Amino acid sequence: MTLTAADDLAFSSVVELAGLVRARRVSPVELAQVYLARIERLDAKLGAYITVLREAAVAAARQAEATVMHGGTLGPLHGVPYAVKDQFDTAGVATTVGSRILEDNVPTEDATVIARLGAAGGILLGKLNLTEFALGGTRRFPFGQPRNPWNPDHDPGGSSSGSGIAVAAALCAASLGEDTGGSVRSPASWCGVVGLRPTWGRVSRHGSFPLSWSMDTAGPLTRTVEDAALMLQVIAGPDPRDPLTSRRPVPDYSAALNNGVRGLRIGIIRELTFGAETDGEVREAVSAAARRLEGLGAAVEETSLPLVLLAGAIFMALADADGAGVHQHWLRTRAMDYDEGTRRRLLTASLIPAAACQQAARARALLRAQIHGALARHDLLLCPTAHQAAPPIAAGQAPITSRAEVAGRFFTRRSYVTPAALAATPAIALPCGFTRAGLPISLQLIGRPFDEPTVLRAARAYEQATDWARRRPPV
Amino acid sequence: MGELTREQVGAMAAAVGLPVTLDDVAEVTHRLNALLDALGPLAELPLATVEPVPVLPDEPPAP
Repeated sequence: MTLTAADDLAFSSVVELAGLVRARRVSPVELAQVYLARIERLDAKLGAYITVLREAAVAAARQAEATVMHGGTLGPLHGVPYAVKDQFDTAGVATTVGSRILEDNVPTEDATVIARLGAAGGILLGKLNLTEFALGGTRRFPFGQPRNPWNPDHDPGGSSSGSGIAVAAALCAASLGEDTGGSVRSPASWCGVVGLRPTWGRVSRHGSFPLSWSMDTAGPLTRTVEDAALMLQVIAGPDPRDPLTSRRPVPDYSAALNNGVRGLRIGIIRELTFGAETDGEVREAVSAAARRLEGLGAAVEETSLPLVLLAGAIFMALADADGAGVHQHWLRTRAMDYDEGTRRRLLTASLIPAAACQQAARARALLRAQIHGALARHDLLLCPTAHQAAPPIAAGQAPITSRAEVAGRFFTRRSYVTPAALAATPAIALPCGFTRAGLPISLQLIGRPFDEPTVLRAARAYEQATDWARRRPPV
Repeated sequence: MGELTREQVGAMAAAVGLPVTLDDVAEVTHRLNALLDALGPLAELPLATVEPVPVLPDEPPAP
């Protein structure tokens, strides 16, 4: 196979690859080797992977190939190579959660989502890099600096950094991330891929290292919306090992995917799209995306969520305090084994006054009511996924020397992705343009709880009407 | 709440048994003051009447 042919195969969608395997036009072994060769060639400069499972992936692919050849039952991901954030337990494979503290942690069983992806026939290529313990703000990544495939001097986003990079650079067909307050959507945004945060409770958290019990959720990162629907189909549903998973039946996420947006009512969140914090190029691209959706038949109008710009601070008071609880033992016994940025964030969270957390919890309920109220008037809400395109890596590495810097580095950007987390609604990030410097810009669509079908349907309609998803990074 | 000083933050950390370096204290002070500033507007909201809500809305009954 020529390099060009191999690259074309690597950039194919999950749905296409699964079809090629099923039709015996591509062998799962060949497919695994295509991705492993790309990882070998590109990952040293991108830092997407912490662990690459070369032998195990080829062995699993050989088994998948034998099943195809013997006419066995094929799952929806049969023979398709994927990778997962190193936050999910994998039996017999180190799960570091991006920290030296857990570098020797080898779980004895798979997380529920890993087991489901395996049962669907997926081939696990490896474990992906992340900000330490899935918190943002890591300054020195213990397992290598993750880099943006569109410009390696720029931040790929986090916390599921490697999950975004690996999908954008075709170092896997699809990946799994975890989104507490934007950790799937932020890397999807800055790496120019699709990232889906499912409704909280739709996907099991069992075997995923926790940050905040009321917001943590696994979600797929993919190159197409159709792939996001397929990946969600595989991982969604109740799990007796996670009592917080919903008992609602899981719908067929592909059934209405191509129904278009005609008749849908979409509200543009004024504060996040047209506010002063939003970069001009981002505002322009997202406004153009809204007009495109209108052109496709949706009824689009502005809507106001006055509390939404407080979302970042509310989120950090709640999720960081939860995280501080998770980390108290190590903060007391292994403080210097944390990255400096992680340690200082967790120390800060440990000292938040209880009254402030309680106020934040009540403000969350008000914000949630505001979001759900808007979703009673609109089928979807629309806004940028991030207020700016990927910043330089160096911008996030310097120590903080003033309180004004904290607001810029933490609260502002989180106010774009945390509303969906605080309101327990599904949200998708998808490419909607590029800056003049060639960095991706991302559109976010937020839906009603458990209405992923409408979120996916609108995202698919937009994706089909544009060519952003077909662009490849210059790696 | 007024602005916290480094000495106060260092003392709070020590009181709850968290080991911190001087550089940690300097940055944690900025972070904590910034967060409390950012949460300041919440005091203007009608929080006293907020009722708790389930995170999973309208969950069907267990079988």
